Amino acid sequence: MGQQKRIDGVPTDSAIDVRGLRVTYADGTTAVDDIDMTVREGEFFGFLGPNGAGKTTTIKVLATLLTPSDGEVRVNGFNIRTDGRDVRKSIGYMAQETSVDPELTVEENVRFACEMYGVSRDERDRRVLTLLSLVDLADVADKPADKLSGGMQKRLDAAMALVHEPPVVFLDEPTTGLDPEARDRLWDYFRRINDQGTTIVLTTQYLEEADKLCDRLVLVQDGSVIIKGSPNDLKGRVGEEILDVELTGDEGARRRAAEIARDLGPFNSNAIEETDNGISVTGNSVREHGTTLLVALDEAGISVVGFDVREPTLDDVFLTVTGEGLT
Amino acid sequence: MTDELSGNSFGGDVVVNTKRWGLKAIRNPFVLAVSLIQPLVFLVLFLTVFGNVAGTAVNGTIPGIGYETFLLPAIVMQVALASAVSSGVGLVNDIETGMFEKILASPMRPSAMLLGKILADFVRIVVQIAVVVVIGFLLGAQIETGVLGILGVVGVGVVFSGWYLAFSNALAVLTEDQESTTLVANLLQLPLLFLSSSFLPIKALPEWIQPVALVNPVTYGVDVARSIILGRNVVSNLPLANSPLEAFFVLLTVDFLFAVAGIFLLLITTRSDVQ
Repeated sequence: MGQQKRIDGVPTDSAIDVRGLRVTYADGTTAVDDIDMTVREGEFFGFLGPNGAGKTTTIKVLATLLTPSDGEVRVNGFNIRTDGRDVRKSIGYMAQETSVDPELTVEENVRFACEMYGVSRDERDRRVLTLLSLVDLADVADKPADKLSGGMQKRLDAAMALVHEPPVVFLDEPTTGLDPEARDRLWDYFRRINDQGTTIVLTTQYLEEADKLCDRLVLVQDGSVIIKGSPNDLKGRVGEEILDVELTGDEGARRRAAEIARDLGPFNSNAIEETDNGISVTGNSVREHGTTLLVALDEAGISVVGFDVREPTLDDVFLTVTGEGLT
Repeated sequence: MTDELSGNSFGGDVVVNTKRWGLKAIRNPFVLAVSLIQPLVFLVLFLTVFGNVAGTAVNGTIPGIGYETFLLPAIVMQVALASAVSSGVGLVNDIETGMFEKILASPMRPSAMLLGKILADFVRIVVQIAVVVVIGFLLGAQIETGVLGILGVVGVGVVFSGWYLAFSNALAVLTEDQESTTLVANLLQLPLLFLSSSFLPIKALPEWIQPVALVNPVTYGVDVARSIILGRNVVSNLPLANSPLEAFFVLLTVDFLFAVAGIFLLLITTRSDVQ
């Protein structure tokens, strides 16, 4: 690369720049509807949303696998419509489904990826060794890929996306279907490559994953961005604390409990939600006024079986913004 | 440093993919064996069941040869067709494992990827045809032109397979489904063989079949291969060719047309299906 990236002649430090992106499939379904976003160099960027929100479609556009219906998209300064090959040279792409050649060995898969991205012969041996040890697969280098566990195949897939040391890597739901241990190892791996300066764009429906890894994120629903910011900013917008109250009784009891909470005054009425087994109250003085609420519920004959005061999660953010939970 | 075989140049992309598909063929000899079985069964059964009856019809058109010699070029073309079917199935596997999309998201050119795969398939087909020719020879087929004739037949078989390789790979990209690709490609295989000069001379075929046989690429491949092993022009009275060389050019033209259509299809179906 070498030279300063420019967008419309203006120097920029953004790795990805998306303006007015719209994707309508041939059957008329609009998967992405007017998305704007910028990802800065070296950022760990999260692209969150439920199934069908348009995450994978957007990533496929950024990786030049789909041509958008409308909008301007630049990756590493290259226009995806006119400089597709330059974009592909400068990115790593890890699809949602694990993509490895089952008939080749682990090492042959990584070597093929080296050849795919034009890593010079002199460099290949070093890259293969470094990457296999980075993803803890050096000891199974001669094993056919189809003999590996799901987690190991994912790590091999991730290694293949990085052989050319791309400045930007797209990870489309990389930990879906993995057990917690395999997930942790991949997270650790992604953090390490991000620490080395690689810009990472991660799509996920695991909000905990985004919270732990991402510097900034956007939440998407029905193809549109509904909120963006750092995980802490977004959680801060919900409030400082959340009181979850678990109740016995039916839907009527939960509705009455919510009304009592609203009538108490200290709580913002917009931040009182009925949950599956009780109510949830969000605010900045929840801890202080929580006991008042519990007493009021008891006096109204509503039986409280448990309560918890906790910090908001990204799921609470999603719930607040959309009125429904993501997880 | 630019490495010629790194995948950065078109030639490099082709070599890298040929190597990969070659490696996969070696790892999976089952595919190689399976596409040989049906043609070999045909060779043995046709010789045993129809050998005496068909021999008379054959001698009426090409005097002085046995049915083994007449049949061998047809079985060679059958091997080429069967092997081409498994090529498309291999591509569907690549689509299913996500490797196809991984390659599309890389700087490799899709056309170089397909060409590299087809070159690897050619190597596989060479091996398979060589096996069939040896078995045919052991069963009594006469190869008047010796080793050069064998090499010629193998070459014609490879050239003949080109259009069906393109067809089965195009089916793979279109259907993205193993069963559909296998079903359609296999379904066409037997009509292509029977509606040609493969098993009987065109004159001995029913009248309604003859016009089809005259334009069927299988007829052109079989007639060229027959001429090569006999060392004389035995090309049927075809509308597009009267000599082995002309028939060979017809095969090359058919290959070219199918390859262009296949690559065009690959390019339009792999990048986008948005409005």
